[in-house]
Amino acid sequence: MSPLDWIVLLGTLGFIVSYGVWKTRGSKDIEGYLKGDNSMKWWSIGLSVMATQASAITFLSTPGQAYEDGMRFVQFYFGLPIAMVIISITVIPIFYRLKVYTAYEFLENRFDLKTRSLAAFLFLVQRGLAAGITIYAPAIILSTMLGWSLTVTNLLIGMLVIVYTVSGGTRAVSVTQKQQMAVMMGGMIVAGIMVVRYLPDHVSFGDAVNVAGKMGKMNVVDFSFDWDDRYNFWSGITGGLFLALSYFGTDQSQVARYLGGRSIAESRLGLLFNGLLKIPMQFLILFIGVMVFVFYQFNQPPAFFNEAAKNKVYATPYGEELRGLESEYAGVFEQKQEAVQDLVTALKAEDAGAIAAAQRQVNTYTAVGKQVREQVKGVIKKAVPEAETRDTDYVFISFVMKYLPAGLVGLLLAVIFSAAMSSTASELNALASTTVIDIYKRSVKQDGSPIHYVKASKLFTAGWGGIAILFATYASLLDNLIQAVNIIGSIFYGTILGIFLVAFYFKRIKGNAVFYAALLAEAVVLYCYYFTDIAFLWFNVIGCLGVILFGFILQGLIGKKKKELVA
Amino acid sequence: MKDTRPAVEETPIGKPPFFKRWAGMYWLVLGNLAFLILLFYLLTKLYA
Repeated sequence: MSPLDWIVLLGTLGFIVSYGVWKTRGSKDIEGYLKGDNSMKWWSIGLSVMATQASAITFLSTPGQAYEDGMRFVQFYFGLPIAMVIISITVIPIFYRLKVYTAYEFLENRFDLKTRSLAAFLFLVQRGLAAGITIYAPAIILSTMLGWSLTVTNLLIGMLVIVYTVSGGTRAVSVTQKQQMAVMMGGMIVAGIMVVRYLPDHVSFGDAVNVAGKMGKMNVVDFSFDWDDRYNFWSGITGGLFLALSYFGTDQSQVARYLGGRSIAESRLGLLFNGLLKIPMQFLILFIGVMVFVFYQFNQPPAFFNEAAKNKVYATPYGEELRGLESEYAGVFEQKQEAVQDLVTALKAEDAGAIAAAQRQVNTYTAVGKQVREQVKGVIKKAVPEAETRDTDYVFISFVMKYLPAGLVGLLLAVIFSAAMSSTASELNALASTTVIDIYKRSVKQDGSPIHYVKASKLFTAGWGGIAILFATYASLLDNLIQAVNIIGSIFYGTILGIFLVAFYFKRIKGNAVFYAALLAEAVVLYCYYFTDIAFLWFNVIGCLGVILFGFILQGLIGKKKKELVA
Repeated sequence: MKDTRPAVEETPIGKPPFFKRWAGMYWLVLGNLAFLILLFYLLTKLYA
């Protein structure tokens, strides 16, 4: 990285952290620290909600996912706008009416303490793990780039977030998220413009989209139904709806964002703002990934995008074999490049026969290239068994580091760090508020002073930060980072959502029934995860419907037993 | 058994911008979703 990149990166991060600490210093009570004194306007809530969901993983993994798999991941978000409407109508007025600090307080009001504690516990487990991955994602990049140890980079990122989150609580999270969103969106738009500008002169933007389409990357919507297919219209609109309902309606890291609003109207507008803009934002990020893919049809891509892993292999006896495969891959690329040029010429001429012929050739070379890449991964695995052979998370950052000019590299790294900080800050803030409000203040120390609970919240924020850093240090790349977070979420979210749906809509079901129904439903989800091939998005549906179904059955049995006892 | 918990206050909900009722805002969000799905479907068909 050039000195200019360091200035941009450190200047951006330093300014955001200092501004957050300075602007939000001196919260004296729990209302101010955990709810930001209910002072947020709708646009602030909307940006905060979007920044919380958009982690570094979003900006690292999503373009890589589009590079590998095309645009179809956008379908994952189809259920989100519907969820925003449902939550605005039903959930927000209830939370405001009860003046709750956390979503789980409502459960004690509706059921009992044990159901509240169970939901809070499930949240703490899954969000605690997710916070670790949120820190880990940018940490691996920095460690790869600078050759630092992962522990040091995890510590640096985690500590930076802990500083302003501990200092200013919820308001610090929201204040900094506005600037972080500006950096993220600005940086990604600049990256999108640059990648299109770097295409060869004779390839227009339209040609680039056409080439992407002919190579199967413009697969935005797929209406075919398949239980095992992770991303199609049906899994997105149903599984995605359940996941979004659960995430935005019951996950404290999001609930805290809109509970800090000035009024119900401001909170509703904030969520609806997210419902309008989330899909276009994800489309843009995926589309940048597709443009990077097109860019690499005219420029030699590396046979493996994780340079650090390759460097380790060069130092082993397998180094020569790897170099051989890399030159073979370069040879295949040269042949493919000619076929891609033919495809562009045929597309410009609108010659259907020539397009089909060129497309066949491109597909053949793409398949050969994929085979060579698989061999490369095999060699890496043999040489360095602990190395991760999925390199999609490195596609975008590798492009940024290699091709963007000085200054912009720093800006794009600031995008990734801002995203990591914004979501981690929300997570730590939510973990602390749930621990303090639902466990400490409710079951451990009920008679503390306001300042005592502020101090406890600060302590728990720092504590959860420490746990997240520890988990990040020991996390390894699971499948793909963004999917790892979504899988962890899907394992727990369905059950939590089920508890809340029963609370809102099934008044017949009482505390005992819903508590044991939730335990049974979670067991079913864990069985599905470990012993079946069901796509993870469906876990949300299974967990949620499981709680409702078991709840009805158990309530029936409990009711019957009570009648017998009375008789 | 009688519910002895204190009654919760009814919080007034303000009007949304641009529309007279909240239903207008909700239809805007859902209409935007429908428009995007249609647009994405056309993109998929056009570039397949």
